Amino acid sequence: MMGRLYLSQDTSARAVGAERLARVWAKVPGLELVRTSSRGAIFLEPLVEMDGPHGRIGWPNAGERDLPGILQGENGTPIERIPYLAKQTRVTFANAGVTRPLSLDDYRTHGGFQGLEAALRLTPQKIVEEVTVSKLRGRGGAAYPVGLKWQAALETHADQKYVVANADEGDAGTYCDRMIMEGEPFRLIEGMLIAAYAVGATEGYIYCRYEYPVAARLLRDAIALLTEAGYLGDEALGSQARGGGRFTLEVFVGAGSYVCGEETALLQSLEGKRGMVQAKPPYPAVSGLYGKPTLISNVLTFATIPAILARGGAWHASLGTEQSKGTIPLQIGGRVKQPGLVEVPFGLTLNEAIEEFGGGMAAGARFKAVQVGGPLGSLFTKSGLTIPICYDAFSRAGAILGHGGIVVFDQETDMVELARHFMAFTADESCGKCTPCRVGAVRAREILDGIGLGRRRPGDLELLADLGETMKAASLCALGQRAPYPVLTAIEHFRKEFQ
Amino acid sequence: MTVPLTIDGLAVEGENGDTVLTAARKAGIKIPSLCASPHLKPYGGCRLCLCHVEGQAGLPAACTTPVRDGMRVRTDSEIVNRHRRNILELFLSEQADGGLGASEPLLALSRQFGLGAVRYREPEKRAAPVDASNPYFAFDPAKCIVCARCVRVCDEVQGTFALSLAGRGFGTRVIAGNDVGYAASNCVSCGACVKECPTDALFEKAMAEFGRPASATRTTCTYCGVGCQFDAGVRAGRIVQMAPVDESPVNAGHACMKGRFAWDYLYAPDRLTTPLVRKDSQWIETSWEDALSILAERFGRIREVHGPDALAVISSSRGTNEENYLISKFVRCVLGTNNIDNCARVCHSATVTGMMEAFGASAATNSMDSIEHARLIMVVGANPTEAHPVLGARIKRAARRGTPLIVVDPRTIELTKYAALHLRLRPGTNVALLNGLGHVIVTEGLTDRAFIESRTEQYEDWVETVRPCTPEATERLTGVPADLIRQAARLYAESGASMCIHGLGVTEHKFGSHGVIALCDLALATGNVGRIGTGINPLRGQNNVQGSCDVGSMPTYFSGYQRLDDPDLRALHETVTGRPLPQKRGLKIPDMWDAALAGTLKGLWIVGYDVAQTDPNLKKVREALGRLEFLVVQDLFMSETAKYAHMVLPGAAFVEKDGTYTNLERRVQRVRKVVDPPAGILPDWRVFCEVATRMGYPMRYDHPSQVMEEIARLTPTMRGITYERLDREPGLQWPVPDAGHPGTSIMHQERFPRGKAQFIGVDYLPPGEEPTADYPFVLITGRILEHYCSGAQTRRTRIMEIVDQDALEIHPDDARKLGVRGGQRVKIVSARSETVMPVTVSARVAPGQLFASFHFPENNLNTLLSSSADEASKCPEYKVSTVRLEKIKRAVS
Repeated sequence: MMGRLYLSQDTSARAVGAERLARVWAKVPGLELVRTSSRGAIFLEPLVEMDGPHGRIGWPNAGERDLPGILQGENGTPIERIPYLAKQTRVTFANAGVTRPLSLDDYRTHGGFQGLEAALRLTPQKIVEEVTVSKLRGRGGAAYPVGLKWQAALETHADQKYVVANADEGDAGTYCDRMIMEGEPFRLIEGMLIAAYAVGATEGYIYCRYEYPVAARLLRDAIALLTEAGYLGDEALGSQARGGGRFTLEVFVGAGSYVCGEETALLQSLEGKRGMVQAKPPYPAVSGLYGKPTLISNVLTFATIPAILARGGAWHASLGTEQSKGTIPLQIGGRVKQPGLVEVPFGLTLNEAIEEFGGGMAAGARFKAVQVGGPLGSLFTKSGLTIPICYDAFSRAGAILGHGGIVVFDQETDMVELARHFMAFTADESCGKCTPCRVGAVRAREILDGIGLGRRRPGDLELLADLGETMKAASLCALGQRAPYPVLTAIEHFRKEFQ
Repeated sequence: MTVPLTIDGLAVEGENGDTVLTAARKAGIKIPSLCASPHLKPYGGCRLCLCHVEGQAGLPAACTTPVRDGMRVRTDSEIVNRHRRNILELFLSEQADGGLGASEPLLALSRQFGLGAVRYREPEKRAAPVDASNPYFAFDPAKCIVCARCVRVCDEVQGTFALSLAGRGFGTRVIAGNDVGYAASNCVSCGACVKECPTDALFEKAMAEFGRPASATRTTCTYCGVGCQFDAGVRAGRIVQMAPVDESPVNAGHACMKGRFAWDYLYAPDRLTTPLVRKDSQWIETSWEDALSILAERFGRIREVHGPDALAVISSSRGTNEENYLISKFVRCVLGTNNIDNCARVCHSATVTGMMEAFGASAATNSMDSIEHARLIMVVGANPTEAHPVLGARIKRAARRGTPLIVVDPRTIELTKYAALHLRLRPGTNVALLNGLGHVIVTEGLTDRAFIESRTEQYEDWVETVRPCTPEATERLTGVPADLIRQAARLYAESGASMCIHGLGVTEHKFGSHGVIALCDLALATGNVGRIGTGINPLRGQNNVQGSCDVGSMPTYFSGYQRLDDPDLRALHETVTGRPLPQKRGLKIPDMWDAALAGTLKGLWIVGYDVAQTDPNLKKVREALGRLEFLVVQDLFMSETAKYAHMVLPGAAFVEKDGTYTNLERRVQRVRKVVDPPAGILPDWRVFCEVATRMGYPMRYDHPSQVMEEIARLTPTMRGITYERLDREPGLQWPVPDAGHPGTSIMHQERFPRGKAQFIGVDYLPPGEEPTADYPFVLITGRILEHYCSGAQTRRTRIMEIVDQDALEIHPDDARKLGVRGGQRVKIVSARSETVMPVTVSARVAPGQLFASFHFPENNLNTLLSSSADEASKCPEYKVSTVRLEKIKRAVS
């Protein structure tokens, strides 16, 4: 036998040739190629690894012809000495790059189900208390205290309750949900199982965006495996479950609408209706899917639950800042040297994230601006980079952390075009319900179209600002409310380009 | 529970379930809004109703913010108004001509908030052509603001789901069906979307042609027994709109295609305007003076020569209570006979007979609002989404809220889609099925012992009857699986409040009154009478079937179902009318045909009833009509019956006279004169008075209100009814025993009119005809949504653009065997006659069964039917006839 190599099967690795390597190397006799999740160091993919005496050894950016050298053990780097990875605090992504996504054995030997086992020893109320103590906040973007949501769902009496994972990860530049679903789907499902047991839900859904076919397939396979293993189905939680053992889970694939990431629109879509945002209250925890109490949270939120139950809420609350506890997987992209996923406790500055993890600007690129929190996030310039990455500081700055996406722009970026692009995005993705978003986004885009074509007219920027204020104040959901921010911050920081 | 809050410094009492917007509106505080409607769930789309809530960040929309105790709200501020102005500017920016092309309501709001010119230059618009495919209304997308009120009302209130939003963002637009336009969609033209539209994007063609109403008069619809209230809008002496009334407890602002729009027959070119007298085969236009005199003279002569019983009158259950009372008075006091009947004979006479025997009162026990309180609704032999659409929509809403529904019907109807159980019985086996349900209820101990003990008698009689009716035996008779019978019985008995709603599928059978009795038995056995959410509730087909019977337009009872031989009544009648009350029971309509054929009935006056089209066994009816010495027909149009008449009198339509109708929940409601009848036409009540006077019995009333005073005096159950009260209150539900009585929403709460209710065991007996080798199909006849009864009105409306012929529904298997396709014409042959109709191939009917509507006289459908009728009530067996089908070989050119 020649040896065993590890190679990620994550879409990000496949995008840079992992699949081609796997195909070619499959023909090499005696070579065992183990397909794992990705470590999230996307700039290193395809990252080929081999077991060493003290952990894995890696060969970044491997090519077909590197195989003989790799098999000889030439020039490998011990994974634990890669600074990018070593400096992180991996909790949700602890097993990233290590385990096989659909191996229950791997999952178990790497701490899987410890959270569930701990939960099943507690009463539902005690589980909710543990989550409350952890001070976990919703990771989808709204940062709502998760304990409060669980408490509301627990306290609402109904003949049927649901747990729904929001896997409609639509922010450009974010992919941490996808990496969990493709890399360790069991962790998400374990979190959902704990939630279901805690609030008394017997049915669950994972609403996966249309653009994630691989994730949807892996989730379905994972559900089949867990059903066979008795974790899901009519007797999911066995006799230990005092709240009734049934929990079934289904994957539902969306139809390509960004706004279906908004929870009420998502639930409408899940019911088979047009994905339209609904006014709250009632909140889904009280009246959600089919009018029943529904615990709906982002994939990352659910995936954080097993660790909280396994290690205790107090442990989670010991990480991070005053108002933002635990870790956040940042997804740093754009014109940096080292794009990828970085899981760190809340609190490091934006500058640290870009420099220490992003490795600074890519060759030939000069920093111009950075957008945090997806297409609705504010733009920061150099002077704003000292801001600590946590909910409260961002909120004070009128910005959002969103889903942890950080996109760095360089000097080549045309800020008018960028602003126009973001407004066009909102105009395309608006659900069509509220006037400020439905009509306002188009009007704002039209003005920016004009400026971009050099046909700016006096009063345009004032009109944009005036309309922007109405969109912020009067829109029904975050899409319309946040849409003006990238545009208005672009104008604020780069006014000259708009004149 | 009230929720105190402060809005703009004013103390306001909200209620649980109120939003800031609804609480403000109740308190008279105006908050601008376009997408909110009192009929719809909160939406939060237009965003004009933004407000400040103390202690809450941002500007929540008043329409989606629930009231909270102690909440302090400010609806008006510079900042809020700035946003409102900006939102209105966005609305105007998508309208034509820089916003000037917007509808008036939108422009008015813009002026109110001081919006100047639209600042956006060359804004993109949603281009789409006007959809004018519906006969009565059109949709102009250019004026639409995508508030989705039309879509939502179609879903939430009407439950048809014909409209949707398509596209995203600015491209979002309203589509009908799968974007096929209104006419080709599943739209039922109820008009709810048009009423909800805040910007006139949906508009009524009549108003576009004749202008908006300058004034409006409230009145009652005539298109079924629901009794919807409408504001009839008038401009320049012409009706231009019928707008459903929000405050009415009957329809709460909703309507159906016919009531809302199909009043254009009023202006049909062939409306009769002059009395006509037949001379040989010619119609001679005659003056009213001459016509009335001839009528009085001819009737007088027959009475003299042949006696009072040689004369009869058939009154109309479309006419008012006052007209029905007056013509009955004419028959009893002037002619001196009880030969008075009305068209209820052919629809709900079996209900009258059955419910009188069981309960001692013939009327719906409950009100329509019981639908909201029932924990189970059982619809038996009724198709309310077609025949009583506003009630049908209400049942659909209840079902969508989760109220379980049992449908008992041989056909698949719209409601079966919502039903927990569909008991698809063989036509004519109602009694067998209901007895089978009774068997399960008895043997499984599901009866309400306390109710049976205290409120009923002869329980054992019924138990003996249902004892042999096991579910298996019942399955053999009815074709309904035994298991479904058990489930239905348990659901009905155990819900806690089961409401039974029945229609002509129960009554129009050889043993129709037994079917009604069997329903009453089930209700009594399970204690489902006398409480909200329960009862036996017949759906009256025509608008005043209830009232025409109530006021004594029947050969067997006087007004208020009083016995003709009641000595007290006899004395009172003589005091009030000055004439004795004839004692002998009169002829029922089918008896009249026999009497005419036997030569004993000589003169007949038929008011607003086309017997020559709508009665069964038409050959016989027409022959009988031909034998009469003198036939007077009073109608809006030259009906099939009028063709046999010696004299035809033009009638006034419902909007052309005053009076009252009584709806299917016993609610007496005003009918008001909205416009003048075509020149010279006398309202029917005036005609009756004139003829009576000419026959030596002066009947003088200045106004129908005086007739109601007389009815009230003679009728204990209506004693407290006056026009003064009817104008003040939303109608009055009899019994109203005195002026201070509020009316009766639920009957039999304490006792039944006959004291205790009576169980009556009724054995199943087969229908008049059963399929044979020669006549293998069972033909059921009935109504469709688009047309009304004889079609005399609806065939003269633009509904003809939607449905312009009757069709024969046939199951796909049968169609295949016969080798016919949809649209092809087939010959239908019965033992009586034959006719030709086009077929619709549909699994709505079971194999071996056929369904035909009867709205078009050219089909002569009722010539196929026999004279078979319910023994007790003479209600015809319209629902079961056996026929065979023959393929027509060559196309008839």
